[in-house]
Amino acid sequence: MALIQARGLSKTFGSKAAVRGLSFDVVPGSVTGFLGPNGAGKSTTMRLMLGLDNGEGVTTYDGVPYRELKQPLRQVGSVLDAKPFHPTRKAVNHLRMLAASNSIPNSRVTDVVNLVGLGDVANAKPKTFSLGMGQRLGLATALLGDPGTLILDEPANGLDPQGVHWLRNMLKTLAGQGRSIFVSSHLLSEMALMADSLVVVGRGTLIASGKMSDFISTSNRNAVLIRVENAELMTRELRARKAAVVTEPDGKLAITGMDSDRVGGLAHELGVRVFELSNREATLEEAFLDATGASEEFRASMGFGNQGAAFGGPMMGQQGYGAQGGYGDQPGQQGGYGGQPGQQGGYGGQPGQQGGYGGQPGQQGGYGQPPPGYGAPPPPPHDTGTSQDGSRRDGDTA
Amino acid sequence: MTGALRYEWMRIRTIRSSYWMSALAIALTFGITLLMGLSISAADLDDEFDSVDQVTTYIVLAGASGPFIPVMAAPFYAVMGVMAVGHEYRYGTNKATLSAIPDRVAVLAAKCVVLVAWVLASIAITLLLGMAITWLLLDNPQFGSHLVRPLLNYTGYCVGFAVAGMGLAALLRNQTGAIVAALTWPLVVEPIIYGVSLAISETTGGGIGKLTNLLPSSAGRRSMFDPYEAIAGFGNGEVWSIGAAVIVFWLGVILVLAAGATSFVKRDA
Ligand SMILES: Nc1ncnc2c1ncn2[C@@H]1O[C@H](COP(=O)(O)OP(=O)(O)OP(=O)(O)O)[C@@H](O)[C@H]1O
Ligand SMILES: [Mg+2]
Repeated sequence: MALIQARGLSKTFGSKAAVRGLSFDVVPGSVTGFLGPNGAGKSTTMRLMLGLDNGEGVTTYDGVPYRELKQPLRQVGSVLDAKPFHPTRKAVNHLRMLAASNSIPNSRVTDVVNLVGLGDVANAKPKTFSLGMGQRLGLATALLGDPGTLILDEPANGLDPQGVHWLRNMLKTLAGQGRSIFVSSHLLSEMALMADSLVVVGRGTLIASGKMSDFISTSNRNAVLIRVENAELMTRELRARKAAVVTEPDGKLAITGMDSDRVGGLAHELGVRVFELSNREATLEEAFLDATGASEEFRASMGFGNQGAAFGGPMMGQQGYGAQGGYGDQPGQQGGYGGQPGQQGGYGGQPGQQGGYGGQPGQQGGYGQPPPGYGAPPPPPHDTGTSQDGSRRDGDTA
Repeated sequence: MTGALRYEWMRIRTIRSSYWMSALAIALTFGITLLMGLSISAADLDDEFDSVDQVTTYIVLAGASGPFIPVMAAPFYAVMGVMAVGHEYRYGTNKATLSAIPDRVAVLAAKCVVLVAWVLASIAITLLLGMAITWLLLDNPQFGSHLVRPLLNYTGYCVGFAVAGMGLAALLRNQTGAIVAALTWPLVVEPIIYGVSLAISETTGGGIGKLTNLLPSSAGRRSMFDPYEAIAGFGNGEVWSIGAAVIVFWLGVILVLAAGATSFVKRDA
């Protein structure tokens, strides 16, 4: 249940600054997402936090730097690499080995193996594991010491939809127990459902940190959408009042710089007939592309990078995501791709709720087994309302 | 440190290559001992050797106390040493290891201790088997104090190879590279330097042949010769004493280990 304080983290490789003066907090009881384009320095930051790389700055866990922790696995669990184990050492032996280093009893090894859904393959060699099973074993190592803090680099990488769903529920449950969870991911839709706070980096520097909702509200994709009879007049009058107006491909006007009450009022004043008036909220993805568009390290020559640029301002071209009408442009409605935080997501469903994909909680799903899921040991001290049995393990691959 | 030791003890016991390396080292040495025991017991001893003492040593050590048969087990122990650290880089487990045990000196020290203990146990088996064969096959074998020095230096040689292998892996951070280095140095590099400097000293008559005394692997090899002067002086009149040979060998081992340890402790994981 540690407060993580990172202060002035910097790291250069040769002449290249990978991380520059990064400072942020991760507070207990929350999942903090760590976002940034490829090469932004996320993994490097995590290595610095764990005292694995030599750099500048300090990271403390309730005031103590990692390398001074006694039995660190009992306080901070981490997964940095995709398959950090010897291919022919049995999964259970791998865990026992790490447990031995921190005086963690072997009974706990059995617990975490079951926790991550690898109970059936505990005695198998990891070389037979799929990427997702490898990730689960990595998570098992992170959970070994029942730590108050988790630092995970791309833990959802390679997990199937059930696995992603399971991971999300587990992390939210762990955060609900008062732990600090710091997790990087490229799956923004996933992050939107999982994280409460964000740390966003680009080119090694901090772009934003704080509550996710605050971050999203900064996006230019937040707009008032209106469909009116006389769009020309409306546009002219809106611009005269310093609002930015963009005509969407479907003919709607996307307005920033004026709230929906005033837009509606203006239409009324002008006597313009309104067919539709709504608020469009940006998705995390849109906010992210907005914020990191200029800091992307490896900009694709087509597509992604340009889309990021398209969000640069409301006056710019409309090639971007979401502008086509298909992606969450209805206010208060589900974004088909990502969904809003606290709203129903595309495939996963709300934590504690079950999306269409996964079958009913506690019931036999498509190809899973009755869900051992996350949650038996240890019982959460205070329930946060996230369901524990909503998660499932895909027993066939395990 | 106890945590690191427990970790390492578990590590070495849970990969098959530990057992394979030891088994191969033991089996190969045993095979040679057996062949020697069979052939020499039938031969006329006094032609080739000064005494039954030396024949006993020769067979117990599978020929390592003579100049012609290399220490077959040493490369296996070197590979074991390489793997103690090299596996971590090969399979990307070093970050997980150092996350569990942030004290890098403790990690490396534990690896060293466990590795040495494992190799010692393995050598103990080898030597006991060697003595058993000798006792069975040789008429009137002599297991006296004369055995102690060659046996100790044989043990040191094997342990030194293991430790140097570990140092090389920590230095190079690459398992394959470290194995290649650990094998080519004693088997290729030193013999070439040895041959070239002897050839030079013979043609120029200079003292460059003395430099061969500084080759650590050769020095370690020489230290188990019995009788030392007779064999070590072969082809080179200016061979240092047996004590100097032992020191040169261990200096070489310590140098490699120190370089590897410095890299392991100082560099990014
Ligand atoms: N060991 C290294 N040696 C040299 N440069 C490195 C090393 N590790 C990382 N870098 C550089 O540092 C920068 C940050 O890399 P890092 O892996 O931390 O990014 P990241 O945000 O984790 O990226 P990704 O999203 O692709 O995982 C990159 O430019 C990378 O090339
Ligand atoms: Mg990364």
